[in-house]
Amino acid sequence: MDGISRRAFAGQLALAVAAPYFLEGVPTPAAKPQAPQQQEPSALAKALAQTISVRYPERFSADDLAAITRSIDNRLRQIERLYQTQITNADEPDFVYSVYRGAD
Amino acid sequence: MAPPDDLAFASVVELGRLLRQKKTSATELATYFLDRLERTGSRYNAVVTVTRERALAEAAQADRESRQGKWRGPLHGIPYGVKDLLATKGYPTSWGAAPYQQQKFDEDATVVQRLGAAGGVLVAKLAMVELAGGMGYNQPNASFTGPGKTPWNPGYWSGGSSSGPGAAVAAGLVPFAIGSETSGSILTPAAYCGVTGLRPTYGLVSRHGAMALAWTMDKLGPLGRTAEDCAIVLAIIAGKDPKDPSSVARGFSVPPPPAGSGGQGVRMRIGIPKGADKDIQPEVAANFRQALKVLEDRVELVEDIELPDLPYGAVAGMIIAAEGASAFDDLLKDGRLSQLTAPEDRTGGYPALAVSAPDYLRALRVRRPMQRALDDFLKKFDALAVPTRATVASPLDKAFRDGWPGITGGANVIGPTNVVGVPGVSVPNGFGVQGLPTGLSFTTRAFDEAKLVTLGRLYQSRTDWHTRRPSVT
Repeated sequence: MDGISRRAFAGQLALAVAAPYFLEGVPTPAAKPQAPQQQEPSALAKALAQTISVRYPERFSADDLAAITRSIDNRLRQIERLYQTQITNADEPDFVYSVYRGAD
Repeated sequence: MAPPDDLAFASVVELGRLLRQKKTSATELATYFLDRLERTGSRYNAVVTVTRERALAEAAQADRESRQGKWRGPLHGIPYGVKDLLATKGYPTSWGAAPYQQQKFDEDATVVQRLGAAGGVLVAKLAMVELAGGMGYNQPNASFTGPGKTPWNPGYWSGGSSSGPGAAVAAGLVPFAIGSETSGSILTPAAYCGVTGLRPTYGLVSRHGAMALAWTMDKLGPLGRTAEDCAIVLAIIAGKDPKDPSSVARGFSVPPPPAGSGGQGVRMRIGIPKGADKDIQPEVAANFRQALKVLEDRVELVEDIELPDLPYGAVAGMIIAAEGASAFDDLLKDGRLSQLTAPEDRTGGYPALAVSAPDYLRALRVRRPMQRALDDFLKKFDALAVPTRATVASPLDKAFRDGWPGITGGANVIGPTNVVGVPGVSVPNGFGVQGLPTGLSFTTRAFDEAKLVTLGRLYQSRTDWHTRRPSVT
C-alpha cells in the first residue's frame, strides 16, 4: 500500500472543506480525481476492486469500476493514518458486548 | 387569529402563547400549515408526504384536551415535520431514496412518539438526501424528490442531508422539524437555510425507528427558528429508550434564561480554531467576526487553538463506510443502488465491501483515545466557535467541488466532533453572496447542550438574523 504524505493528507482535507456536505474530512467514495487522487491506484486497490467485480459480474461499467478503484485507493491511503495512531492491546473497540439471558 | 405571515414565521414559544390565550386553535394551526405545505412545499423540493389526516386527528385531540384544561406542555398543539427517515405509522417512510418510496412501518419512531405524547401535531414527512448521503453524493440533486432548494434563493441548495427540514422551517412551512446528523446533516442545512439547528450528543436522543446509516454516529435533533425553540424540542425528545441501547438516561432540561443580556453574567471562554475564518468566503468571515463582536462583553476569546492531531477523517470514513455498507447490504446485494438519483450514489456503496474487519475495528479502537483527547481539549473552553460552513449554499447545477472554486480554508470542526459524538448548534448570523444566509456554530463537550443553548439564546437576544424571512409567495 502506498503511504500518504502529510501534504497529501492536508490536500485531502482541503478538498473535504470544499465539498464536505456529508463527511467532513472524508473523501467521497466516487469522487472525481483530484490532486491527491490523480496518482495511479495501487495494485492492492485494483485487486480489491476486482474482487467486487467478480462478486457482482456484469453490474459495473468500466467507468464504474474506475470510480470504485479510486475510492478504494483513497480509503487505503486513509487507513495508513489509522495505524499511525498508537494504541495498545488493551485498547478495545468503543462498543461493549453484553451477554443476553431471556426470561426464565 | 394572528396575521397569516406572522403565524408562518412564529416561534414555538409564540405559537404556544397564542394557543394558551385561545387566539388560535391546534386545528387552525394545523390547517394553516398543511395548506402552506401543500401550496409551497414543492417549490423547494422540501416535502415528501403531507400527513393531513393524522395532523387533523392529533390537532383535534389537542383542542379537546385544551378545552378540558389539560395542557401537555410547550408543544401542545404545535405543528412540526420530520425528516423522512423517521418511521411513522400509516405513511410511507422513503429515506429519500427511490427504492424505498413505498416503504411502510407499523409503528412510530420513538422521537415521533415522544413529540406526539407532548401534544405535537405531525404535519409532514420532509425531504432528504437519499440514504442521508451515505453513498457519497457529490451534488445537490441526490434525492428522488429533487435537489433541496433554500428559500432564500431557490437556485441554491438547502444543504444536506436534512434538506427538507432546513427548507421547510426557513419557508415557514413548519415551526420546527426533526433532522438527523451523521456528519454535518443538521448544521449544514441550518446554515444554508438561515435557521437554528441543534445536533445533540450521541445517545441523548433515541434512534429507534430512524433509518440507520452509521449506528455509532447517527444523531437526531431539531431545526427551528431559535435556540430556545430547539431547546424546548430537545427537552421533549431526549432520554433513555429501551429500544435504543445506545440511548442514555441523562435527559435534557431547558436552561434558565441568561442572567440579563446586557453584559452582566459569567463570561464564557470560547476557543476559535486556527484558520477558522481564513481562506473562506469573505462575507462568511466578516459575519463570523461581527457575531463574535456582538458577544464580546460576555465571552473571552482564545484565538488560534489547535485540535489534537488525530485521524478524524480516516476514523469517520472507515466507520461510516463499514456500517453504511452493512446497513444497506440488501441494496448492495440486489443491485437496487442503481435506482438512486445521483449517479455517484449508484456505485458509492461498493468500495466499502473492500473494508476489512480489522481495519473497521482499528477505527473503533482509535476512536477511544480520540474521545478522551478531544474531551480533554474541549474541557478548556465553554465552547468552540467557527463559521458553520466556509461558504454560502452551493449552486444547484454544479458538483459541490465546483460550486465555490478556490475556497479551501476554514477549520474542520464538524467532522471531528461528529466522530466522537459531541453536540453543536448553528445559528444564523447574516447573509453572504446571492442573498444567501451564513451560520455561526458553537461546539462543546458531551452533554453540555445547555451551554450551546445559552450561547445561541444570548446571540439571538442581541441580533435579529433569526427573525428574517425569505420571500415566500
